[in-house]
Amino acid sequence: MAISSFAFAGSFQVGLQGQKQTGMGLIGTGFTVGPSSVFFNPGSLVFLEGNLQLSAGISPIFSSVAFRKEAPSVYHAATDNPMGTPFSLYAAGKLNDKLSLGLGVYTPFGSSTVWEDDWAGRYLIQNISLMSVYVQPSLSYKISDKWGFGVGLVYAYGKVELEKAIPVSGQDGTEGQASLEGSTTALGFNAGLSFRPSEKLELGLTYRSTVTMEMEEGDAKFTVPASLEGNFPPENTFNASLPLPGSVNLGASYQITEKFRAGFDFHYVFWSEYDSLNLDFTQNTPALDDSRNPRLLKDNFIIRVGGEYTLSDKLIVRAGAYYDSPAVEDDYYSPETPDAIKIGLTTGLTYRPMEKLDVDLSFLYVLGVERDVTYAPADFGGTYKYNAVIPGIGFSYRF
Amino acid sequence: MKSLKYILLSLLGILMFSCEAELEEFEPKAGSADFSVFVTLGNSLTAGFADGALYKSAQEVSAASILAGQLEWVGGGTFRQPLMIDDYGLGGRRILGFATNCLGVTELGPIMYPGTFDPGNMASIAAEGPYQNLGVPGAKVSHLLAPGYGSLNPYFGRFATDPATNSILQYAMEQVPTFFTLWIGANDALGYALKGGENPDPTQTEPITDVGEFTTYYTMLVDNLTANGAKGLLVNLGDITSIPFFNTVPYNALALTDQTLVDMLNAAYATLGFTFQLGPNPLIIQDLNHPAGMRQATAKDKILLSIPQDSIRCAGWGSLKPVPHNYVLDELEVNNVRNAINAYNLAIEAAANNNGLAYADMNAALRDAESGLLFDGVNFSTTFVTGGIFSLDGVHLNGKGNAIVANYFIEAINAEYGATIPKVVVNDYPGVLFP
Repeated sequence: MAISSFAFAGSFQVGLQGQKQTGMGLIGTGFTVGPSSVFFNPGSLVFLEGNLQLSAGISPIFSSVAFRKEAPSVYHAATDNPMGTPFSLYAAGKLNDKLSLGLGVYTPFGSSTVWEDDWAGRYLIQNISLMSVYVQPSLSYKISDKWGFGVGLVYAYGKVELEKAIPVSGQDGTEGQASLEGSTTALGFNAGLSFRPSEKLELGLTYRSTVTMEMEEGDAKFTVPASLEGNFPPENTFNASLPLPGSVNLGASYQITEKFRAGFDFHYVFWSEYDSLNLDFTQNTPALDDSRNPRLLKDNFIIRVGGEYTLSDKLIVRAGAYYDSPAVEDDYYSPETPDAIKIGLTTGLTYRPMEKLDVDLSFLYVLGVERDVTYAPADFGGTYKYNAVIPGIGFSYRF
Repeated sequence: MKSLKYILLSLLGILMFSCEAELEEFEPKAGSADFSVFVTLGNSLTAGFADGALYKSAQEVSAASILAGQLEWVGGGTFRQPLMIDDYGLGGRRILGFATNCLGVTELGPIMYPGTFDPGNMASIAAEGPYQNLGVPGAKVSHLLAPGYGSLNPYFGRFATDPATNSILQYAMEQVPTFFTLWIGANDALGYALKGGENPDPTQTEPITDVGEFTTYYTMLVDNLTANGAKGLLVNLGDITSIPFFNTVPYNALALTDQTLVDMLNAAYATLGFTFQLGPNPLIIQDLNHPAGMRQATAKDKILLSIPQDSIRCAGWGSLKPVPHNYVLDELEVNNVRNAINAYNLAIEAAANNNGLAYADMNAALRDAESGLLFDGVNFSTTFVTGGIFSLDGVHLNGKGNAIVANYFIEAINAEYGATIPKVVVNDYPGVLFP
């Protein structure tokens, strides 16, 4: 399976960094379940049992967006998004009683939105794929039996590919097209504090930094009628900057009964960092200015609740839900990254065929609330509805 | 393990059921109008004339035809157009192409469409009628009422049942329309403007239709069309002096690159006080109101798109000799046209109000287009070629322009009759095609 990109959550954020967490509403800041804490809260790595734990998982995303042009219109369209495949790999182990090391490779942002090439919004976007992979080594320190603190350095790889139509037509009616592609790397960090005031209660607070992807010398190809090639240099390059926003996250969990533990997460995401998508072309012409596309996102928040119930030595079941507020304003809604109030309903389980091995399954249904919006700079508006179905599978092993 | 199986099966069920996002479809409503017999009357703008000719593929995206297509959502009946038999059509069709001018410079611009005229385009197609698009290129308001107009105008003659006796109005009324659109009157002032307004030779002037006469004919048309209780849309007229035909060749189109010529012109016209310099210069135009019979053009003069530009470049037009008057609309003539259009529009608006008809303000629409329109990420303006609305004759609209017009019509009909006729996606229609 190719590592492709995916569409999910508040604009293009993906929340799928651990199968166990996904099963219970994606909570994990204050609910430690394994080495995926490298992502969820590096401060709690020191509280993991055993010497070394490994986990791996993948969550294929089946997403779709339906669009109906603003009334009165019978025009409608739908995406044909490819399956997204966010994945995660984690390892965490103890150096000594006070220090733990962790390593995570995961995909926190991405989206793949594929409209039909001739759809009504084609001059805004035909298809776009954003992908990121974060590699994060982490160090966790046990301040006391109750307090853990951890930091991780994020080395991020990001890639963007997009196509849009250019409103010029050849003699046979074929329209022009721009194809842009670029990739880059950037640095960031995360930090977490884990606090266990009692045996039953766990609290967590984490911060993830914004990682700004500065794309340089990306390829920009323009296909236009021959008489206009002077206006659209066929082999051009572009620079662009895309922020992958950081967040502050707070979470807690409580062992309500011997078999039942429940918790919540609250995330505040700095989407307002994403002010505009500017494509700075190396060669400009009277017909090809640098492209400035205001996005004006606002910070959003996510409330997540979930829990797990231990049925037997071999089986744990989970359930959860979340509410993800929109990051995109009604007047600046671009069809490239569909956004809405999203309600997530999740369930999952862990099957433990042997003491050291967990097989984790998760299932997430995301319902986007219908939105009547417009992208004012292009005067393109209508009603959008988003949903996604995301099954997931993972494995964990404790040495 | 039973519970596991159960969970997995339920999950699969949800997966199958809810994978695709869906939205309810929009349901158009007819409101209080009956669109079952729909006819449209007008001139070339209604016929689908474009690029200097009436030809088949342009007719297929006429504003009337686009509107009729949308009326099908709300009970619209048959809509047949008197289509030409090919894309050469009748007129003088232009396409964008490369041509080498008299200075040896090859440039992109309108050139004649390759091909030959097929006389089949003139043959009568009356037997295949009746037709509902009754837009006839060249028609003025009085022509719609004129019996035998088909023997004067081949565009009507080819589909009139009896060209020698039919009037366009009569052809319409025989179908007992329940709904009509009427967009007429532009030619009543445009004919004057296309000939450069006033002419020293009065026989070469095409007069502007008198406003009283216009109002009489227009009222007569509307009275007839509504006599059976039909509802309809009246469309007013844009300020035709703002179309590309009058705003593409600049008043200072005289490009001088040779200092010797500049000096020579300065010397030759010294007594008249005309001065020249390297770069763009105002054209010298014929003007009988000036003592010398000529003057330098100003920004208020509109040079017609029909001016042979090679004559400016290589034959001394605008420099060695004045540009003939019939290629220029001066300020006074522009005002004559504007005043007529404004007066006609008062009559049209009054007719709409008096008869409870929908009213589309294309005058306002054209003004909006002048300052720029935006649809789904594409900018439009009244600029020739690059503006994307006007066809290559600089007078008529292309498919996208017609789609914009159809949407204005739909808005007006929806507003008057409480309908929700769906608008079209402007960019799905053909515009300017580049080689």
